[in-house]
Amino acid sequence: MSELEGKKLDLSQDLSDLEFLRLTKFQGFIYKLIHFFKGIPNGIKKLFIALGKLIGRALTAVKNEFADIFTTFVNGDFKTKLSYLVMGFGSIARGQILRGILFLLFEVVFVVYMITAGFHWLGKFRTLGDTGSSMQYDPILDTYVRVAGDDSFKILLYGLLTIIFIICFVYTWRLNVKQNKIAEEILKSGKKLKSGKDDLQSLVDDEFHKTLLALPLTGIMVFTVFPIIFMIFVAFTNYDGAHDGYANLFTWVGLNNFNSLFNINTGTDNMSVAFGEILSWTLMWAFFATFTNYFLGMFVAIMINKKGIKFKKMWRGILVLTSAVPQFVSLLYISKMFATNGLVNGLLLDWGIIDNISQYIRFWETKNLARIMVIIINIWIGIPYLMLIATGILMNIPADLYESAAIDGANTFQQYTKITLPYMLFVTGPYLLTSFIGNINNFNVIFLLTGGGPKNPALLTSAGSAGDTDLLITWLFNITTGAESKYYMASVIGIMIFAVIASLSLIVYNLIPSTRNEEDYS
Amino acid sequence: MSEKKHMGMKAKTRLSNTIIYIILTVMSIVWLFPFFCIVCESFRVESTHQVGYVLPKQWGFDNYINLFTKTDFPVWFKNTFLIALFVAVIQTVIVLCMSYTLSRLRFKSRKGLMNVMLILGMFPGFLSMIVLYKVLNGMGLTGPNSIPGLILVYVGSSGMGYYVSKGYFDTIPRSLDEAARVDGANRLQVLTKVMLPLCKPIVIYTILTAFMGPWGDFMFAKYIAHASSAGMTVAVGLQSMIGTPSALTANYTMFCAGGVVVAVPITILFMSLQKYYVEGVTGGAVKG
Amino acid sequence: MARVKLTDVKKIYDKNVVAVHDFNLDIADKEFVVFVGPSGCGKSTTLRMIAGLEEISEGTVEIDGVVVNDLQPKDRNIAMVFQNYALYPHLSVFENMAFPLRLQKMNNDEIYRRVTEAAEILCITEYLNRKPRALSGGQRQRVAIGRAMVRDSKVFLMDEPLSNLDAKLRNQMRAEIILLRQKIDTTFIYVTHDQTEAMTLGDRIVIMKDGYIQQVGTPDEVFDMPANLFVAEFIGAPKMNTFPTKLVREGNEYFVTPFGSKIKVDGAKGVDLSAKNVKSRDIILGVRPEHIVLADEKRDDTIECTVQVNEMMGSELHLHVLTKDGTQIIVRVPTINLTHQQRDEMVNGHKIYITFEGKVMHFFDPESTNNLL
Repeated sequence: MSELEGKKLDLSQDLSDLEFLRLTKFQGFIYKLIHFFKGIPNGIKKLFIALGKLIGRALTAVKNEFADIFTTFVNGDFKTKLSYLVMGFGSIARGQILRGILFLLFEVVFVVYMITAGFHWLGKFRTLGDTGSSMQYDPILDTYVRVAGDDSFKILLYGLLTIIFIICFVYTWRLNVKQNKIAEEILKSGKKLKSGKDDLQSLVDDEFHKTLLALPLTGIMVFTVFPIIFMIFVAFTNYDGAHDGYANLFTWVGLNNFNSLFNINTGTDNMSVAFGEILSWTLMWAFFATFTNYFLGMFVAIMINKKGIKFKKMWRGILVLTSAVPQFVSLLYISKMFATNGLVNGLLLDWGIIDNISQYIRFWETKNLARIMVIIINIWIGIPYLMLIATGILMNIPADLYESAAIDGANTFQQYTKITLPYMLFVTGPYLLTSFIGNINNFNVIFLLTGGGPKNPALLTSAGSAGDTDLLITWLFNITTGAESKYYMASVIGIMIFAVIASLSLIVYNLIPSTRNEEDYS
Repeated sequence: MSEKKHMGMKAKTRLSNTIIYIILTVMSIVWLFPFFCIVCESFRVESTHQVGYVLPKQWGFDNYINLFTKTDFPVWFKNTFLIALFVAVIQTVIVLCMSYTLSRLRFKSRKGLMNVMLILGMFPGFLSMIVLYKVLNGMGLTGPNSIPGLILVYVGSSGMGYYVSKGYFDTIPRSLDEAARVDGANRLQVLTKVMLPLCKPIVIYTILTAFMGPWGDFMFAKYIAHASSAGMTVAVGLQSMIGTPSALTANYTMFCAGGVVVAVPITILFMSLQKYYVEGVTGGAVKG
Repeated sequence: MARVKLTDVKKIYDKNVVAVHDFNLDIADKEFVVFVGPSGCGKSTTLRMIAGLEEISEGTVEIDGVVVNDLQPKDRNIAMVFQNYALYPHLSVFENMAFPLRLQKMNNDEIYRRVTEAAEILCITEYLNRKPRALSGGQRQRVAIGRAMVRDSKVFLMDEPLSNLDAKLRNQMRAEIILLRQKIDTTFIYVTHDQTEAMTLGDRIVIMKDGYIQQVGTPDEVFDMPANLFVAEFIGAPKMNTFPTKLVREGNEYFVTPFGSKIKVDGAKGVDLSAKNVKSRDIILGVRPEHIVLADEKRDDTIECTVQVNEMMGSELHLHVLTKDGTQIIVRVPTINLTHQQRDEMVNGHKIYITFEGKVMHFFDPESTNNLL
């Protein structure tokens, strides 16, 4: 101990636990900060090593798969061997009729599809179509009529579907081979194979998760996964209103769209400026929207839950009422309330706070005021929900923590900063992250309040205009719905939003301990 | 001496409580004021545009009558109600399946699945809409026929919103499942006979949020149904009613009436099930 | 009413963490077997594998000659009582107990008959209409036992059923489980970390540590002939005193020489040692606190100690004494053997002489920690 005391600690060196405890709060913070940044190169190195290992493992896995397929074939009986060609044959031959028929059916459907349509779409996938529709002379009608050509959209859509179908087929084929191997092993050990009835039975028991997940996962596949894959591909094309794929084909353009976003080799377009501006406001907005709500919501919850405050239910009810009213009603109405010729200005005039119409406060027409207003109104929207969450947590904080703190001499404010706040932060760490992400994508509040305005000429781009309160998500919406409909740009921005959120999450997950502890209490 | 201090403490508490009451009262006014205004304005007869006062000079039901007779509002309302009904049922089933599975069942790809879902959730949901719109459009499920299209869109990815109810399921001791299984229940019976009755609050919470979703959503509905008034939901319809400056002047009070008509039943429903909502939020949201 | 046989059962988590190693046990029909060990020793995992709540990584579990490895819990015909009772909060006590019967689609009258009968035995008839949350811990435990009782299950599993109860209630319930066992004559497997429960309840005790079985035997066997140092220290309270010393052979007689004394090994122990032809060697000596006696004066076979702590338990006195080299020894002295004056003397710093009962000492190999006998 005494040895420790004399030594002056170097914060940039690794300290032992005991040494760390000697630091003051501030020193401790600096120490952590230094080591966080010192850890970055190491972290990146680790990431690459992990990535390399992952690739290595994947490669060996693939190698093992092939080896297994080969040995299964060599060692298998004729039923197994024939199954390599006729899927499900082995299962049927061994009495697992249901499985076998499903395998066989899948193979038949796959072959028929590939012959009738699959190869056609795959063939065109590389160019996304070469002959557009054209006007041709029709001798019978004696006029020019439009003759349908390729449709790039359909080619991209069906091409991708075909590729996915092929992957599914390969997977199923592999499953079919594995089934044969397992069945042979089971028979060899003298046990009985599962019958079709057993298979169905296990769907409500052992394999219940498959039954339950079938519907949700199909939905997610069709409505999220596939569209996202599709849109990622769109980001590498020139698909927009002018190149709709039908009248005008669209095609692959490589990284052009990303280049224009980062202002590489593009002269006049404002895209990179607009993107930078909107991204920084989006992050700013998400930060303020999240933390103002968080702290104020908690503050309100603490006030309402304070001992001796009466009518707790009523106060809570009044606040919750606001989250019951559909957002578009309250947001649109409030937006109009604060319009330049709206109710608020009218009342201000009425009460004599402003003298005449020319002094109307232009809430939505100046950049900074509009930005402050959306944050304030978002507080109005968000506090009730946060208040409920905070109430739930506050009730879970053991009362004896406060009692012991009070005995240790903490006053109300200290109890708040030393117990309530750390506890809340710990429990709600993951929630804060989700809520931050939610705010990055908070379409409703911005679109219904300001519509992205006020319009900013500096943000005018080839994909349409943008305003000072536009978030990436509302910008994306405008780009897609505007006259130009720059779908490819929307895709690029969507991918950028993903990149921003993913990197943020990665950092937060590594910094907040409670996010990592995902295990359920049981 | 000690007596004096004691009094001081009491006075201090009284002072701080008074301050809190003042803050809460002011908050209540601020929070309720817009609703008070919208109700008042909806009854205003003398003008249809925005004015600088709250209480109408002439009260009447004109706006409500016009809303139901001269606009497509009844159609919008019916559309939204239908959509909400379907979404409430299907989405609840999907979310409960998903969250029960991820909370209670252990299978090989569980962790991986949750990670994939986390990553998928980082893409803005609207991104999918571009291609979905094209496909739905090709199937004729946009514009006037938006109802099935919107139901599909709302319900389709709802499996990803499993966090809150999984958080709630996680709080139920696992030994209950195990006891039921030893007692002779299969997994399906564990779900129907033990978990669902136990998790009534989260079931109601899920139904409630699913039902309220379509009433509040603007982005998807606007994108799918913007073309035709017959396929709009109340959100899109009412917004289109005041979408342009001239329309705003002509329809402002009617819009207020529409807002009230939408808000009142939803609010009553919500407040009557508030207990479950609060239990769901506090029990599930934090953990999830 | 069934024989349970575990053969080479293993539990492996995440491919490399082994929770249970090669567990072999043959449980006879109607036997009451207790798995006991410190937390994390794999006893609950083994029980849960028998129940079907954990997958069996390797080996087989047989119930009545049928391998049940691939059977769902519901198909194994077992009943189980959980540590935290696991009562269904939304069902009344009656419905909780009727739950397994309803799943069997038994008719209503029969369900009523069985539930009321079980309730009668467990004295919970008056609570049948209540919800579990309106019951006390002890009552809840009865309901949980009742739910397991109403079925004609082949095996009755209990996973630390008493550890959530307070000490007094625990003693009472322990006695009731013994009574219960006489009424429902079936195979019991009982898991606990409490050696008292294990000793009082079990026909046979399985002592486990770190996933390995340490010893299987009747309560007498494990108490009198602990297989190794761990079992010796785990069974019995206060726990056995152990210290390294020497075993000395002089002709056919054996002596131990702890702390400079020389104590003769008496009776059967000495015979056994010579039968095994054990030579003089280093050992770890184990002596239970109740097998230490106070001596009046310094002798060859006594050890001089000073009293450190004196715990008065009523019928007996637990003395924590220190030898000269600072080793702590616990001595259990029946109060009846002491005069009041002697009792009052036993304060911190008081000097006493102790010696060991020669016929109940235990000798362990310092390397393997196994019992020499």
